[in-house]
Amino acid sequence: MAELKISPFRTTKVLRTQIDELLDVVSKAALAYKQGMSRTVRAGWDDDAEERFEQISAFETRGDRLRDEIGQSLYAEMLLPDRSGDVLGLLGSLDRLLDDMEHSFVVMRIERPEIPAEFHDKWLECVALAADTVEQVVLAARSYFRDPQTARDHIHKIHFFEKETQLTALQIMEHVFRSDLALDRKMQIRGHVWLIHRLADLADDAGDALAIYAVKRSV
Amino acid sequence: MDLAFIVFLSSGLFLGWSLGANDAANVFGTAVGSRMLRFSTAAIVFAIFVILGAVVSGSGASHGLGELGSVNALGGSFTVALSAAITVYGMTKLTLPVSTTQAIVGGILGWNLFSATAINWSTLTKILGTWVACPILGAIFALTLYRMTALALRITKPHLLSLDQWTRVGLLIAGALGAYSLGANNIANVVGVFVPASPLTDIRVGGLFTLTGPQHLFLLGGLAIAVGAFFSRRVMMTVGKDIVAVGPVGGWVVVMAHALVLFVFSSQSLQSIVVDAGLPRIPLVPVSSSQAVVGAVCGLALARGFCGLRQIRWTVLRNIAVGWVATPVVAAVISYVALFFVQNVFEQVVYL
Repeated sequence: MAELKISPFRTTKVLRTQIDELLDVVSKAALAYKQGMSRTVRAGWDDDAEERFEQISAFETRGDRLRDEIGQSLYAEMLLPDRSGDVLGLLGSLDRLLDDMEHSFVVMRIERPEIPAEFHDKWLECVALAADTVEQVVLAARSYFRDPQTARDHIHKIHFFEKETQLTALQIMEHVFRSDLALDRKMQIRGHVWLIHRLADLADDAGDALAIYAVKRSV
Repeated sequence: MDLAFIVFLSSGLFLGWSLGANDAANVFGTAVGSRMLRFSTAAIVFAIFVILGAVVSGSGASHGLGELGSVNALGGSFTVALSAAITVYGMTKLTLPVSTTQAIVGGILGWNLFSATAINWSTLTKILGTWVACPILGAIFALTLYRMTALALRITKPHLLSLDQWTRVGLLIAGALGAYSLGANNIANVVGVFVPASPLTDIRVGGLFTLTGPQHLFLLGGLAIAVGAFFSRRVMMTVGKDIVAVGPVGGWVVVMAHALVLFVFSSQSLQSIVVDAGLPRIPLVPVSSSQAVVGAVCGLALARGFCGLRQIRWTVLRNIAVGWVATPVVAAVISYVALFFVQNVFEQVVYL
């Protein structure tokens, strides 16, 4: 039976729930990424890593679907006519973060690199910083929807965490290339560190875009 | 209703149509231009409320205009309204700022001079005062409303989507209020000059209420404005896009401020309250809807401080001030010349 559309605010409520869910998905994916990467570096690719990979894949699929549904609703219902571009841009940035987290795991699953123990601490630090950058993007995005003035409180943290991730990634790569490892392993580790940094970099881009969206909203 | 009356009334109805086609954009331009409301929804709401405003509350401003000059022959009313229409059309073509209100006042002054009727300087001074007060009051209302809205948003912190929905509802309500106030205030421009000479009498509608002679006339004028609104899509999109720079919430502030200004200069109830409170009497005269909007946009810019102040295009304000003098003078000259022709060439009675 066709659903009776009683309240004009019903679509808005559904959309709000979907946007909140997408933000939750990105936040959960960042936590799963951090846990999975830490586990893989210490114990190699095992069942737990496989489980994390499946979790992130599911988050990525859910994120894609949510973004499509939100985009369609915004246009079909002519909601946020002056802000729909910004909102879709933001959702696109969040989706790219999910894609990148999944991609990192896919590469890890295929290559299964062995990270020497001497690099573990820095590696885990780098992964945690990248995950924190993503987490701050989620917080800034939540602020954008509710209270754009406070989005700045999170955006400067995004930039800070991205810089820290970059610094740590560079330190790891310098140490790797000064070590006695074979060149093929050096190149492989560099590629994985690069992927971690790229996640933080994408989060930083999302932060830059959010800063502009927030200013536009408060004008 | 005899044919001669309809022919004479045609100039007023044309003025009403053009007023609807232009001024509906002041009321719903922001909402339609920013795609917050559909044009059809806006035009229907505008049509209903502009007619209601004209019929229910149109007598105040019409009476105020009548004090300036009671055009007592249909030929005169026709010529005055036609002169105002020609002035508005000509000045718009020359891209000069023009207001129907100022044109009709000029037309009446032309009739006063032609018929050697003494000009009521006290009323004229009051009307001129309201022209200056209109944008200033618009700015004050917009500034106050903006501050209140910003405070309410800071406290309630609505979700972007909830804000979007509430803004749509707000724009619809503000638009309805604006249309009602526009009908109440500007109907005097459209058919005000026909009231003293109108042959229309009271009619009882379905045993429910009585439509007085002037209300009968206001209904016709209101219908003309309402029809004009359905031709305002392009103007709405243009004006809306200009105003949309202030955003939908800012647009709501502008439309509300505009509605309040027109309400102040047309509400007999408010006038009674003010007089009872021992305050100076508010003159009930037609004011310019467009200038109320410009004033409100400036008020919004002022509310944003120095940054907003820099965005004000001062030449627009200067042009408005020039229009206060130029429009009535041009309309008075056209009215005087046209009355001469209508009286001497077409042999119509233009005053008793």
